[in-house]
Amino acid sequence: MRTPMSVLRLPRGPDPNSRGFDPNSPRFIALCSTTISSSTDTETDSVQIGEEQCARSMLRESFLRTLIAMTNKQVQFYMYERVKVNAVFGASDIDVLNFQVSDLQTPIGVQKEALLRCQDVILYSFDL
Amino acid sequence: MAMRQTPLTCSGHTRPVVDLAFSGITPYGYFLISACKDGKPMLRQGDTGDWIGTFLGHKGAVWGATLNKEATKAATAAADFTAKVWDAVSGDEVLTLAHKHIVKSVNFTQDSSCLLTGGNDKTIRIYDINKPEAEPQEITGHTSAIKKALWCNNDTQILSAADDKTVRLWDRTSTAVVKQLSFDMSVSSMEYIPDGEVLVITYGKTIAFYNALSLDLIKTVDAPASIHSASLHPDKDFFVAGGDDFKLYKYDYSTKEELESYKGHFGPVHCVRFSPDGELYASGSEDGTLRLWQTEVGKTYGLWKCVLPEEENCEGRKFEETI
Repeated sequence: MRTPMSVLRLPRGPDPNSRGFDPNSPRFIALCSTTISSSTDTETDSVQIGEEQCARSMLRESFLRTLIAMTNKQVQFYMYERVKVNAVFGASDIDVLNFQVSDLQTPIGVQKEALLRCQDVILYSFDL
Repeated sequence: MAMRQTPLTCSGHTRPVVDLAFSGITPYGYFLISACKDGKPMLRQGDTGDWIGTFLGHKGAVWGATLNKEATKAATAAADFTAKVWDAVSGDEVLTLAHKHIVKSVNFTQDSSCLLTGGNDKTIRIYDINKPEAEPQEITGHTSAIKKALWCNNDTQILSAADDKTVRLWDRTSTAVVKQLSFDMSVSSMEYIPDGEVLVITYGKTIAFYNALSLDLIKTVDAPASIHSASLHPDKDFFVAGGDDFKLYKYDYSTKEELESYKGHFGPVHCVRFSPDGELYASGSEDGTLRLWQTEVGKTYGLWKCVLPEEENCEGRKFEETI
């Protein structure tokens, strides 16, 4: 009767809230060059990088504000396979992978609560 | 005292795992990528199975996945008719290469400058990763879907296995067939070992070993069940295989003797590969899990720790089993 081999712990599973690739891991810090780097070659570079970062921040903020503005409003989602559905937008998850919606109007009936996979959405529109 | 194998189960995928690949040994250890029908290939730390990240972007089942030697790039082949190249450190998608049909196989050259792809459109393609907008070099000839395409002989030649029951060796420059092997049935898997130029092919219940340069047969071994994948240990003393009966088999390469068989998976085993240091092998199954198995059961390595129950260890404290 052989004794089973002991293990310290089980392998860590995926984080349900993120896609991983921890930016604080030693490997990431050592290997990842970002468009924003702390050491720049010339002043022009640093100005360009600063401008790029401003533009990125502005776009990101606008996007987040649209999500807030959409809350509890009727939104039309245009998706792949010529799918066009209406729903009341609830919330997005942190990585914008899923949208939580209510009263999703589908060809086979109204779904009270649903999750829309963001990668399937081509565009969405709503009235302010 | 002989210990019983305790496989480490890596969960996270929600559909069958159809392909897996290890990177080389890097300053940060070695890594493992898994291809899954759920469309979300995952990167894991190779020696522990710890999840590092998920590559998001494919819109269909991922049939093939690979890492470059340094684990800085990943490539995936999917049913959405694309092959994608990823930054394996940040998880970002770097390139999408559109194909005309399902892509099944991807493979980097040693210097990671070129990507080989093969799939259901029966054409092998070579992409220059630094010039992605350039037209890929195409190699045609197979009369059925390509299952696997691998660089060999220092990236000067290409080995491909297809549903037309052939394995072909091509010259990269001339794109002509150098040699061809024909089988009675479709080849289920192919592994290329550059060190020693060995080609491992599985078909039916057979695991066959060939010289990768001459395609001369070295030996064949028959297993108790239909085999989907096999892998030869880096030191060429063992090989492992798995298939339809859900079990993993371990054989002595020289004597062809079956040494061990392990139950554990709840579905057919689709892929199995030894780690680059040979200390463990990973298997992917229809049951949606990856399992890591020790080559030498009883050795302290990764998450496995040798604890002898009779002895008092570490200043006389008693150990608890942690499973």
